[in-house]
Amino acid sequence: MLGQFKVTAIEQDKFELVREVIDPEALVRLVRAGQDGAIVTFDGFVRNESHGRETSYLEYEAYESMALGKMKEIAAQMHEKFAIHRVAIVHRLGRLEIGETSVFIAVSAPHRGAAFDACRYAIDTLKRTVPIWKKEYFADGAVWAEGELPPTPPSAKSAS
Amino acid sequence: MPSIRVKVLFFGRLRELTGLAEEMGELPEGATLAQVFERYAERYPRLAGFRNSMVVSRNQEFAAWDTRVSAGDEIAFLPPVSGG
Repeated sequence: MLGQFKVTAIEQDKFELVREVIDPEALVRLVRAGQDGAIVTFDGFVRNESHGRETSYLEYEAYESMALGKMKEIAAQMHEKFAIHRVAIVHRLGRLEIGETSVFIAVSAPHRGAAFDACRYAIDTLKRTVPIWKKEYFADGAVWAEGELPPTPPSAKSAS
Repeated sequence: MPSIRVKVLFFGRLRELTGLAEEMGELPEGATLAQVFERYAERYPRLAGFRNSMVVSRNQEFAAWDTRVSAGDEIAFLPPVSGG
């Protein structure tokens, strides 16, 4: 089954880590093409509270070269698993205020089902595997968000 | 034993805790990633408590702790990720 649905390759996709405001409309335009019938987007933005505490702002940092590599891997997996056309994944770094977009994902496809499934897969996998960290600032201090431990490969003894 | 040079990176709370974002480290040839970590945990004792709530990467791929390092490797100690 794998690869059977591949519509286009990853070359037309976009992966970016930015320090400026993300422009969702530009990303939607980028993934939209005549052969598509659907675009699904995910807009992740800064919530005004965390575990009942009022958030002042967030700061994101990344292991940038590895994060871009992992974002590209996610897109490659999306093309393998779902009948999609183009993918754009952009994550913002630095200080973000309440309501500002931290991550935006756009997926185009000939049909909506694949676009929905692929977009969900993208954000879920990003949150688990891309080396990006969020620090939450409150009126009376700051904490690193709990986060998830990425899955690690098995012991190296069986590998090279 | 001959020694090799590798680049070592810390991120998030691990960077804050060590006050170290990046340095070139000298290690005995054949050292494992676990041994690299132990060296830093000796230098920064508070690191030791994070051993079970972090992962390590070698050349920008998540790696098992018993992976051996080679000269020129880029090793990073990574807390649980929280992007999105």
